[in-house]
Parts: sequence; C-alpha cells; structure tokens
Amino acid sequence: MGDTPFDEEQAGRRLFRGAVGTAAFLVIWQVAATPVPTFLLPTPVEVARAFVVELTAPAVFEVPIVGAEVGLTRLLVNLVDSLYHYIPGLVVGGTAGIAAGIAMGWSDLLNEAFTPIQRVLRPIPPLAWIAFAIVWLGVNHSGAAFIVGIGAFWVNFYNAYAGVEGVSQGSKEVAASLGVDDDITMIRKVVIPSATPEIMTGIRTSIGQGWMIVVAAELFGAPGIGFQIINAAQNLSLDVSVAYMFVISLVFLVSDGVFRRVERRVLVWRE
Amino acid sequence: MAGVSGEAKIAVDGVHKRFQSGSGVVEALRDVTFSVQEGEFVCIIGSSGAGKTTLFRIIAGLEEPTSGTVRLDGEPVDGPGTDRGMVFQEYGLFPWRTVLGNVTFGLEQRAMSGSARRERAREMIDLVGLGESKDSYPKELSGGMKQRVGIARALAVDPEILLMDEPFGSVDAQTKQRLHGELLDVWGETGKTVLFVTHDVDEAVTLADRVVVLTGSPGSVHEVVDVNLDRPRARTDDAFAEYESRLREAIE
Repeated sequence: MGDTPFDEEQAGRRLFRGAVGTAAFLVIWQVAATPVPTFLLPTPVEVARAFVVELTAPAVFEVPIVGAEVGLTRLLVNLVDSLYHYIPGLVVGGTAGIAAGIAMGWSDLLNEAFTPIQRVLRPIPPLAWIAFAIVWLGVNHSGAAFIVGIGAFWVNFYNAYAGVEGVSQGSKEVAASLGVDDDITMIRKVVIPSATPEIMTGIRTSIGQGWMIVVAAELFGAPGIGFQIINAAQNLSLDVSVAYMFVISLVFLVSDGVFRRVERRVLVWRE
Repeated sequence: MAGVSGEAKIAVDGVHKRFQSGSGVVEALRDVTFSVQEGEFVCIIGSSGAGKTTLFRIIAGLEEPTSGTVRLDGEPVDGPGTDRGMVFQEYGLFPWRTVLGNVTFGLEQRAMSGSARRERAREMIDLVGLGESKDSYPKELSGGMKQRVGIARALAVDPEILLMDEPFGSVDAQTKQRLHGELLDVWGETGKTVLFVTHDVDEAVTLADRVVVLTGSPGSVHEVVDVNLDRPRARTDDAFAEYESRLREAIE
C-alpha cells in the first residue's frame, strides 16, 4: 500500500518540484489576472485577502432548532452551516447504505427481491431528488442533508454489498466448523470484518462525494459554503467566491487525510 | 484400537455423490465405504479427480452425499460441527485477526471467560511452537506458520476428530517434513482421530496407520492398506519404499 519508505533525496526532489510548480502556477495566475477586473478573474493575492477577511470578520451563528447564538467569524459560520447538513446526511445515509448493502449481500431473498428497484433507482443523480427535498423538507438544512444522504447511501451500499459478496466461502466454512451456527454471529464475526476494506472505501468515497453534493444542494439556497460561492459571485465579489472554493478543497483534504489515518489503523491486518 | 462402544469413530457407508453441472450430471464418488477407529491416523490418497476433496467435504458436513451415510460415533453427520476440527490447504485463517485472535475464535462461540479463552489459546499456540508470534497477523507469517495456526485453531475447541485436506500442499518440502514430525507429536499428545487427505504417497506412508486408496472417476475405494511401520519412520527404509511403490501403483 505505497508505504515503502523512499529515500530522502527523492522526497526532497519531490518537495522542490512541487514548490516550483505551485509557484509557477500562482505567478501565471497573478500575471494573467492583474489586468482583468476582479469580478471576472481575481488575482491570488485578492483571493488570499478575501480569505483572511472572511476568516476574521465576526459573524453570529444561530444554532438551528436550539435557537442559541454563537459568535464566530463569517467563514466559520458558513462552514458550520455546511457541516450542519453534511454530517447528518453522511452519517444517516452512509449507515443506511452499509446496512442495506450487508443485508442484500448476505440474503439471497432480499437480494432477489430488491435488485430490480435498486437497478432503477441507482442511476438517478442524488441532486435529482431535490424535488422531494423541496416538497417535503424545504430548501434548508434538512433538505440538503436529505440529498447528501442519498448520495452517501448509494456509495456505501455498493461498497458494502461488494465487500459481503467477496467474503470467502472458506472463511464461512471455517467459522461454521468452529461452532458459528447462526446468521447474526456469522455476519458480526466473519462477514463484517472481512468486508471492512470495502466498507472503508465506501465511507471514504462518500466523504469526498458528500462535499460535491453539499455545494450543489446549497446552490438551491440552503445556507453554507456552496451558497456563499454563488452569493458572492452574484455580488461580483469573485475573490470571495474563489476563497470559498479553496475552503471546500481544504476541508476535503483535511477530512480525507484524517480518514486515511483511521483507515490505515483499522486495516493494519491487510496485506 | 476400537472405540469404547465398539462403534467406529467415523463410518462412511455407501456414499455416492453426483453434482449437477452445466453440461449434465457429474458423478464424483461411487459407493465409498470405509471406517476410522478412535485415535487412528488415516490418510486418504488418490489421483486428482478421484473425489478426495468431495469426500472430505461430505465428512466435514459441508456437502451432503447424494446417497449413503457418514456417521460419527453412530450419529449421522448433519452439517459442520465442533466435533470435527478442519484444516485446509489454503489455511483459511481470518486475516483480520492475529494468531491469538484466530485461535480464540472457536472458543468465543462458547460460554467461557475471556481469560480462560486466552489461556487455552496460548496453550494451543505453544503446542504448535508459535508462542513468539501470537500477536502477528497472518500476512506476517510464512506458509508453514500459517498452517500451524490452522492446526492450533482447530485443536483449540478440542474436537474429537481432526480433518485435514492437503494441509501441507502449499509449503516447501523441508517445512513439510518438519510439520509431519510436529503433527505426529500433537497427535501422540492429544490422542485425536485424524483423517488426512493427500495426493502425496510419501506423506501418507510417513503419517498413516492406514491408507484409504481412492481411484477412478467417479472415485471409489480401491483398497485400504495398513502401514505396519514403527514411528518415527525413515524414508530410507526398504519397508517404507515398498509401501510407497505399492501405493503409487495403486493410484495409477
């Protein structure tokens, strides 16, 4: 799994080339954007300035449902707003997807009964469910969470299903010979541990995909980073839009990095 | 050597097995009958296609015979169970569990305290000489070590019978020889009944009290050979060589 320690020389070279490439990109961007008005193409310096302003300008976050007010900064308020539908959507949709994937991977009855429905529903892009989100829930946190949840459901469903299908017959037979004689124990002690690599892949994919869906859902008006990207652009502050685009990238990199570490820990046993 | 009740430990009686395959019906076993007494070490040998593995799986309870019966202490086999510990060629270790975790697996299915489980598992791990590696994952072990774990895991639940399907088929010759010695030691210490499937004549003569020779396709029992040699057996003995050539001829 790419863990082979490469020598320092190579690491140094890679760092150097990366820095040069990044610097070249920024210089070209700066040069290209300087003669152009900000509302068409902001320079990196303007974007950095906008980022700092958003990061430090005080703003108040109203905690939904509870109604309490918390003093934060503009950027943090938008981030927390996005997380308010991102996290519940991911957790609920992902858990449901994993559970459904395991159930259908394990049970021929469920598999045969629900495969037709699953085949028809799966190609529908999560965003197409916005219709139900609007009618049932409105364009707010719960509506956006619903759409994130649908995306997370399918990704996790597929990976968990494939993981369960891939459990070796041998493992199940050994377990049976060692006294496992009911489905629940077999699922808990053999099927789930054996399918963990695929389940983890599903979770990681949905963490990334979830951000794309969040932004798309917010374009319809739910508060958060994605909404801010559109909102700022409509106010001709493209520097602010781009700053928020980088916020998404940053949040993704951090969450993906953290999850990679978790994954490596959980899967130490893997070849 | 007979069991207390006079009943055979394993009685295979008139077993037929036919499979439905794409192009029609394939007959794997025809009228296989033999028995194994308590504490005996019996090898099943045969050329490939003679249905050795099918027979193993039927005795293990992983498949049902088309007709005929397999009885253990007089009771018909109904699915796999902890009275038969199984050891497979491909080890079948749980890769997500350490050596200790693999060996405790069967014990977790019983009402036992965690410490009693670990103690029993450590005992078994020591028995196969893997004390140093008890916290390793299977990926860190060699083939020979993996199979020692497989044996320790099967023994942990204290089965009366050890069923082994070409357990040393994937290890090198040297390791194989050492494992033979170790297996015979374990057998001597625990007094289990062992049924050992192999295609290796040399291995059968090294290990078995009796050898069941399966030939043909569909496979049937060609003969049952008693190996009257003292242990430890030396390959260089004339008598060893005689048994070997006799069995080799039989499976050809």
